[in-house]
Amino acid sequence: MPLAPDHLSTTLAALADPTRRAILARLAAGQATVTEIAAPFAMSMPAVSRHLKVLEHAGLITRGREAQWRPCRITAGPLKDVADWVAHYRRFWTESLDRLDDYLREVQKEEKNRGHKKLHSK
Amino acid sequence: MLTRVFDAPRELVFKVWTDPKHVARWWGPHEFTNPVCELDLRPGGAILIHMRGPNGVVYPMKGVFQEIVRPERLVFTSAALDSDGNPMFEMLTTVTFAEESGKTKQILRTRVIKTTPQAAPYLAGMEQGWIQSLERLTAYVATESKE
Repeated sequence: MPLAPDHLSTTLAALADPTRRAILARLAAGQATVTEIAAPFAMSMPAVSRHLKVLEHAGLITRGREAQWRPCRITAGPLKDVADWVAHYRRFWTESLDRLDDYLREVQKEEKNRGHKKLHSK
Repeated sequence: MLTRVFDAPRELVFKVWTDPKHVARWWGPHEFTNPVCELDLRPGGAILIHMRGPNGVVYPMKGVFQEIVRPERLVFTSAALDSDGNPMFEMLTTVTFAEESGKTKQILRTRVIKTTPQAAPYLAGMEQGWIQSLERLTAYVATESKE
């Protein structure tokens, strides 16, 4: 299976933290300032900033240039890679099992035919 | 966890899971073939499968049988290999087969057990909640990528 080039590892590492996932879920609803993002968390601003840095490094968010107001926005690209990766795993098994189902039918049909031939040859 | 009921006796389902000649016929997504399929069916025995996609790209997979209880249970590890042949992720897959009035109920569970050192920190996050979060985020991504 085609898996995990390095950028995917970085994205997954960033997503492995529940606070960062919550931040992303918040940003999925629209851009927000650091203060707005920090509001629901019992966490210091520097701690929130550290999480934002990790997300930014992973390319999951971008931050505005305005010195005062630097809004954070979610970026779809890396998330799409992760979603593709998860979908790939799911697809691997669901499609393999679909094929297994078909194959079992085929094998049983063959066995049946062989059985018939045996009966007829008697 | 994936549950399937196959309209086939358990012995046959177990056989097509453990005989390389059969496995090569169904392993992998649609349109994939398996030019290499070697299974050493015993605990500690090696699994080597080369899947070839419809685009011609070959995806090698290596694994080890952990447990073989004919015809009811199969446990094996599997790892996708990178272009240098090093394992990237190691998964542990458990498949159980139960007989149900001539049919076979198969339950498949798979989880990540090992990964490359640089990817290790996020292993802790590979739990169910993580996947669910991803699914919610995926919905967002789907809308975003349409734009």
